[in-house]
Formats: sequence, C-alpha cells, structure tokens
Amino acid sequence: MKRRIKKLDPRASWPRPVSDEERAHILGYLEERFGFSPTLFEPYLFLATAKNYWLFTRTEHFEALQSLRVQTAGLLFLRKVSGYLKPTSAALQRFGRFATRNIVILDRLTLDRLRLEKKIPFSAELEPGYVILKCEEDFWGCALYISGKLISYLP
Amino acid sequence: MEKASSLAEDYFSRYQDLIPNYESFLNALSEPLPLYFRLNTLKTQDPDRVVRGLARQGFEVTPVEAVPWFFRVEPRDISLGNTDEYYLGLIYPMTLSSSLPVYALDPRPGEIILDLCAAPGSKTTQIAQLTEDQAIVVANDKRLDRITALVANLRRLGVASVVTTVYRGEQFPLGTTFDKVLVDAPCSGEGRYRKGYEGELLFHKEGHTNLPAIQKGLIVRAYDLLRPGGILVYSTCTINPEENEAVVDYLLRKRQAEVLSWEAPLPSHPGLTEWEGKPFHPELVKAKRFYAHEIGAVGFFVVKLRRQV
Repeated sequence: MKRRIKKLDPRASWPRPVSDEERAHILGYLEERFGFSPTLFEPYLFLATAKNYWLFTRTEHFEALQSLRVQTAGLLFLRKVSGYLKPTSAALQRFGRFATRNIVILDRLTLDRLRLEKKIPFSAELEPGYVILKCEEDFWGCALYISGKLISYLP
Repeated sequence: MEKASSLAEDYFSRYQDLIPNYESFLNALSEPLPLYFRLNTLKTQDPDRVVRGLARQGFEVTPVEAVPWFFRVEPRDISLGNTDEYYLGLIYPMTLSSSLPVYALDPRPGEIILDLCAAPGSKTTQIAQLTEDQAIVVANDKRLDRITALVANLRRLGVASVVTTVYRGEQFPLGTTFDKVLVDAPCSGEGRYRKGYEGELLFHKEGHTNLPAIQKGLIVRAYDLLRPGGILVYSTCTINPEENEAVVDYLLRKRQAEVLSWEAPLPSHPGLTEWEGKPFHPELVKAKRFYAHEIGAVGFFVVKLRRQV
C-alpha cells in the first residue's frame, strides 16, 4: 500500500532512459528467455525507476515532456526481483503473442486452480524461471516455474 | 417513478424547442442506457474471439456498423467488469458517443496530444488504439484518486504511449506545447440522464458548482497549450447551451480560434447560434449536437477548433 502512495506522489519525477548497454541487456534477456525479437521493441524506449523498467513509445517530443511532473510514463514492463528480471502480466498480455519460448499452456480448470491457490504442483520440460501463461487463445500473464511448482503472478 | 418522470419532464421542458422530436426524447428517458464496449485492437483484432467468449457468459454482442470496433451488448444491466475479456484488457466498456470527440480529434502517429480531463481513460485509450500506440498522450486529471483508475485502465489495456499528470486543468503548465488538445469537460451530464437509473442530474447534485466558469477556464488554457495551427476539441455530455456553445463563444471572443467542420459517424444537429435571446458566434453552426434518442447512447456536444497561426 505504501508503495502505491509513493508511486502517485505529486512530486514524482521522470524515470531515467536506460543506457544502450542496459537496453541491450534487457533485449537480450527478452530474446533468450521468451524468444521476443528485439525489433518488436524498436518503436519503444525503456525507462528505469529504482526497481522497475517501463516501456514508453519512442518520441521526438521526449525533451519537451521533461518539464512535466509525471505520475507514470508508459507501461510497467519488467521488475527487478533479486537480481532477475520479471515481466509484468500487463506486458505479457500485450506482447505474449509474439513470444516463442517458455509459454505454459494450461487448460481452463488448471488456470482457475492456479489463480485461486496461487501455487500448484506442475512439471514440464522447461528451464526454471519466469514463464508466460496461455489458456486457449489468450495470454494471461506471468508465473514462475521452479522445483516442480507453478507460482502465479497474475494480478 | 412517477415523481422521477415529472421531475425529468419539468427539468427538460426548457429544451422543448431545441430537442428534435421532443416526445421521443422523453420516451427514451424511460429506457436504461444501452451498453457498449470498444475492442482493444492493441491486443486483438479478432472480434470473433471476444464475441464467442462473452456469448459463453450469457451476453449477446452485436457490432455497431457506423463506428468501427464498437459493439452493443445485451443484457444491458449486467456489468462487463467481471468477464475474462475485461480482465485481459480485450475490451473497454464505454458509451458509443464517447468515441465522438476522438473522431473529431483525428489523432495521428507521431503527434503529441493532451487529454486535459482524462480519467478514467476511455478517450485516452481510444487515441492510443487509433494511433497504434505511436502518438504521445499526456493524460491529465486534477484528482489523484481518478488518476489511479486511469493508470489501472492503461495497464489493463497494455498502453505504452501515455504519460499521466495531476494538474488543475485550467492551470496546466504552459511550458509544453501540443499538436492537439482534448477537453472532455466536467459537465452536468444531462445527456446521460435516464429516469430512475442515474438518479439526480449532476447539476442538482453539485448544487452551486459554477460549471460554465470551470469549463471556460479549461477551454482557454487548452487553447493556449496548442502550437500554432494545433487542434482543440471541446466536448461535454450535456444538452445545456450554457455549458456548450456559450463556453466556445467565450473562447472565440478571447482568442483567434477557428471553428472547423468534421465528419461524424453518428447523426447530429448543428450547434446553436442563439439561446434564450443571447446570440453566439455564427461559426458555431459547425459544432455538433448528438441527442440520446437519435443515437441510442449518451447525448453529446462536440466542437473542433484550430489555433490560428
């Protein structure tokens, strides 16, 4: 709750555009883990706050916007969690259809059980780590596959 | 209900000569507002998936031919907010006529656009959709609690092109100039009134709030934020000429604005050039009035203006 109040602080300042090196690191992770093509994100910048990366449309007006006291800029895309990058469910709902790897396809009953119980036993031929949840034709968001368990990060 | 009917009839009688086919207007007030949603094409361009999904949950969905990506839903008294399609951000429930100001704005990729009174975000997200997330939208609202709802909708729909700010609209800082500004102004909401459904009109509820004064402050600041040649769209969901033509007339007397014609996808009537003995600028005929009983949605007023170079 405290974090939400802080995020909407009226004195909030602009997030920092990431360096080329940091961008390459983010794109490398997205490609390696999920098979996202780096060109998919060419129309976008990545902006950084203390623990998050935001996806923001690339624009020639970026400098002009700096004088505004902003609450949010763009789509919350990745969180830094214990040295790992965790994609948000919002990001995966939007871009999941372009992923080619580490997609977990669940039937409706299993999805409902995961949403309800937050953690279920699960085994699959996948490297442990964050995965994209898909059910029928829809991309639902993010989960963590680890030690024979699936842990939901759905909102 | 009889009391509500008589109150509404008394209230709207001042518009008897203004509203076309007044009897059918009064009859329409007894029906609940139709329910619509917009398909979020940033996530899917397949209406069949959404229509099938909603049908499984008991909704009957019909496309609106005149307005692309809009669908009408029955039953209209059940919220779409609990459906998977809502959770996944595939749909944005909004009234059909709420799309009109964005049609007048005609947003294009690469532009920088200000939505001055943006929350909860129906028009901001519609702009993002029409520009394929490639125009920058500054979505402003003076209330922090309403910004929270706006941010939740942006996240739900997966929009990356929007910056949110919390300023009083009439004091929005002048440092940044915009290609286009949308003022969907706070208003008395007469266009959304239905007997026994919405209860009192906002005008009654808000008591002595001087809405035209607020609206005049907003439209002048919006104009001053435009680059030369930039476009301003002013809209309300009310019938009241004092909140519509009189506000635009005020701007036309204060600034060198030009009223523009625009193509609307729904039937409309020209703006007024006179109300209760007070003349308005003759160019206000180019404004558009949309009446609830003619469009099967909330009544609206929309005008498009250009800042003179």
